[in-house]
Amino acid sequence: MIWVIGVLLVTGFGFVSWRIPLVGRVDAGARLAIAFACGCVGVAAVMFAFTLVHLPFTRGTLLVALGLFLAGAPLTRRFAPPSPRGAGRGIWGAVLLLTAYGLLTARETCGDLIYFWGPKGQRFYVAEKIDVAFLAFPHYSLMHPDYPPLLPLVYAFASSVAHGFSWWGALFSMLILLAATVLAFRGLARERLGNDRANAYAALLAALLAYGYARSMVAGAGEPMLLLFETIAVAALTFHDDGEVLAAIALAGAAWTKVEGAAFVAIVVVAYLLTRRRVVRAVAMAVPAIVLVGSWLLFALKNHFIDQYARAGERMHLESLGLIARVMSRQASYGAFYLPWLAGAVPFAFAKNWRRAALPLIVAAGLVASTIYFYLHGQAPVWWIESSVERVLLSPLMALLVAAAAASE
Amino acid sequence: MPRIEKAVLTVLALLLLAALAGRLYTRGGPYFAPPQTIMDHVGPGKHATRDALVLLPKVRPLLPRGAEVTCFRPVDGWAPEGDTDNFFVAVGQLPNQSVVPPFTAMTGTPLPNLVEYVVAVRDPFTHPDYREVAAFPEGRLYRVRR
Repeated sequence: MIWVIGVLLVTGFGFVSWRIPLVGRVDAGARLAIAFACGCVGVAAVMFAFTLVHLPFTRGTLLVALGLFLAGAPLTRRFAPPSPRGAGRGIWGAVLLLTAYGLLTARETCGDLIYFWGPKGQRFYVAEKIDVAFLAFPHYSLMHPDYPPLLPLVYAFASSVAHGFSWWGALFSMLILLAATVLAFRGLARERLGNDRANAYAALLAALLAYGYARSMVAGAGEPMLLLFETIAVAALTFHDDGEVLAAIALAGAAWTKVEGAAFVAIVVVAYLLTRRRVVRAVAMAVPAIVLVGSWLLFALKNHFIDQYARAGERMHLESLGLIARVMSRQASYGAFYLPWLAGAVPFAFAKNWRRAALPLIVAAGLVASTIYFYLHGQAPVWWIESSVERVLLSPLMALLVAAAAASE
Repeated sequence: MPRIEKAVLTVLALLLLAALAGRLYTRGGPYFAPPQTIMDHVGPGKHATRDALVLLPKVRPLLPRGAEVTCFRPVDGWAPEGDTDNFFVAVGQLPNQSVVPPFTAMTGTPLPNLVEYVVAVRDPFTHPDYREVAAFPEGRLYRVRR
């Protein structure tokens, strides 16, 4: 329980995001969700900086850092009116209840939690730093040592608060991430869509992600955190003309959560360029992500634990394209007759504003293309696809649904 | 918002909810008993890591801080070269010890190089240079004789 409170305390590092004018306009739920997301980026960046200057992350040092972040936060700023209760409320409740049940009875656990996300977070907490000796140990190379550190650092922060790592807490944090994702989407969409429509699409997004998470077993892994950042970035840019600052933070978070996050940043920047044609803003939006990933790569190179990122230079196996398409299209049914895709596509029957839907549609298409591109670099991709594609395709599914919501305006 | 649009969105969400409930149901029973490990219901069958997840917390208090230890399921009584499932579970479950791969307890390894502790999942470990320290229903703890 204290561990979960530790995860929620991360929000304290993100209250400073309320200074962003867009965040000041959204309702309380969205504002808290966005603060939580920005807090994850903030706390991870602080803990990485501590490691660089050899300052251990203890309760004391982290509390001082939290105090400094809180000092810069406009905590007394008034909230926008709360979203009125209405469409989708019952669905929301059912989604959260079913997901909580699935998590607490160990029905959605990701194997990668016990293989690497959890061990890394735990080890960073025990070592009070990003433990490079642990990451560089050759026999732990299957743990993907150079994987971006944001989620293990959030786990290490919660462990510092609780004085120990909690496997059940790591599972339960998925519920927090799911709720934050949907609250952020609803709040960001509300200004354009109105209360009713924002609520209805938020409920559909909640059901879509909850099923996708259960089906692809991602509790405790990086995907729920990645989806939180991706949803905030896409929704901020889709529903707002001043969403760039918030999107930049979310893009940095995505790039520092999973390797795929870097591809997501590139795709969003291209989509933004194509739809908005603002070159300087597009480049500026990517800067925080480039700085974070660049500094992490330099750190990994210096400490000799570069692994996944080194695969960028591997040869493509274009002869596997047909096989990849077959396996991907089979797995993409999510064991439910493509229901998640239908949930994203059917609402387009009510589309009125295709122009607003352009950015998330390009992002969705780009994410599918980048997934195929990644798989083309595997020599025997069938097992790889079967074990990962349901997780990876959650991102384009989310973007498709955001596009459907935007088109309904 | 037009009623038809709201109805379609609601139906889609309800279908997804039904699919979610179905998915959780197919993970197998018991449905309301607290699970012993975080992998208890990830599939209808028993997960490869379950025994290690139950065993390692029992073994943990018996291991000195910083001790070198490995964890595997013996094959015909001997250490395999690798055992990804049990080895990586041990890395996460024994944060205060140094977890090394199973080959460090293989036959032919010189005595000074043998890992000090072995956690053998389910089956007994028969290496003559190790003695049993503790036994549990899910496996045993061994220490090298030096």
